[in-house]
Amino acid sequence: MKKSVYKSAMSRVRTSEDFKEATYQKLMLELDKSTINPTNNSTIQKGRIKMEKANKKKLTGWTVGIAAAAILAVGVISVNQNQNNPASAPTNQEQTADATSKPPIMGKVAVNIDGVISEVSEDGKSFKVGDLWVEVTDKTQLGSSEPTAAEPSQELLNKEFKVGNIVSGFTSQDVSTGKVSADVIYNLIAPEKEDAGKPATTGKMAVNIDGFISEVSADGKSFKVNDVWVTVTPDTIMGITEPTAGEQSDELLQKEFKVGNAVSGFTTEDLSTGKVNATRIYNNFAPQK
Amino acid sequence: MYNSYELNESVRRALDLYSQSMIKIAFAYLKNIADAEEVTQEVFLTYLQKRPVFENSEHEKAWLIRTTINKSKNMLKTGWFKSRNPVPEDLSYLPKEESEVLQAVLSLDKKYRIPIHLHYYEGYSIQEIAAIMQAKSATVGTWLARGRSLLKEKIGGLEDEEICL
Repeated sequence: MKKSVYKSAMSRVRTSEDFKEATYQKLMLELDKSTINPTNNSTIQKGRIKMEKANKKKLTGWTVGIAAAAILAVGVISVNQNQNNPASAPTNQEQTADATSKPPIMGKVAVNIDGVISEVSEDGKSFKVGDLWVEVTDKTQLGSSEPTAAEPSQELLNKEFKVGNIVSGFTSQDVSTGKVSADVIYNLIAPEKEDAGKPATTGKMAVNIDGFISEVSADGKSFKVNDVWVTVTPDTIMGITEPTAGEQSDELLQKEFKVGNAVSGFTTEDLSTGKVNATRIYNNFAPQK
Repeated sequence: MYNSYELNESVRRALDLYSQSMIKIAFAYLKNIADAEEVTQEVFLTYLQKRPVFENSEHEKAWLIRTTINKSKNMLKTGWFKSRNPVPEDLSYLPKEESEVLQAVLSLDKKYRIPIHLHYYEGYSIQEIAAIMQAKSATVGTWLARGRSLLKEKIGGLEDEEICL
């Protein structure tokens, strides 16, 4: 081998024609993004965005909590004012203190878990969908309880989480942590195998026996038609037995198989073996001269 | 520090000059052109974000190649890359001899095929390869010799070639 062969081969390896242009466009898009936000370091940028989001969330949470506590306090005060038993009612001050000491009522947000499993933990109880690790705990509900929902798959019932399986469900936990426990797993579907759609090939197929007898065995029970030896067994049905069929003459269905006779019928056995048992013989007659 | 115009120009120039080299080295590592192009794009993205300052164009090329090797290594380690079973790259359009040689090099362990690629495709010396791969010159020499010997077993030849230290 010469040096030039490898270099020439590598040079000829085909790459995308528009690679440079596509990459340049992508890079300029990134540059535009970073120009809008003058911070150059993307990790710092990401961190700041996260912090800002977290602060915003915290602020919103507390605002909602305090507002809820205030409404609750006003409600309790107004209810207590209408009651006739002032001895058992706590004072307004106590009420407000109670309400504000409780944590704010926060709503839960359900996030869909939907996609293909890319990794499964060693214990098989966690799997990764996208960038999210999902843990299946004892509290995780398997399958859907809706009346019209499909039956959960066997994989789901057995909790067999495998790479490539399609999973759907949801969690009410914070997905930004990267790891959550699933509240519900609706279904777990194994990807369709390549041969799943193919029809079964194990069925029997009837093949016509049709032609002239070229040879007959010594015992007279077998004959050769079109290079296939056909044996007439006690199970072979002779003649046409359909209710609408007319009566068959002995001429058309002779009992003896002779060389030159025209024979018709069928077999359910494999013709490629060269020897089959006849399932049915319709006719066996000497052709007109 | 670059201004926006200079950055655009330096990126475009680097793309024109080095993208093919980077794709080819990533291909030598990952054996798949689509992955190699993805890695090369990531390298340019890093180039854009870090905006490194280079002493000269050779320094720039070496940095890009080093980063391409690192990012290719990272891709090899990822779970999704390990778990998949990709269709081998179709090289049937290459002439028979070239295809055989390329397949033989790609079948080598990566510690041999990367120095071989850098030497035979990029034309780097052992010292330059050692600097790029952050290894000792003697080690790179051994890798090259061992790689050549394995190639000789596979396809013959190369025995008359020498690499100057």
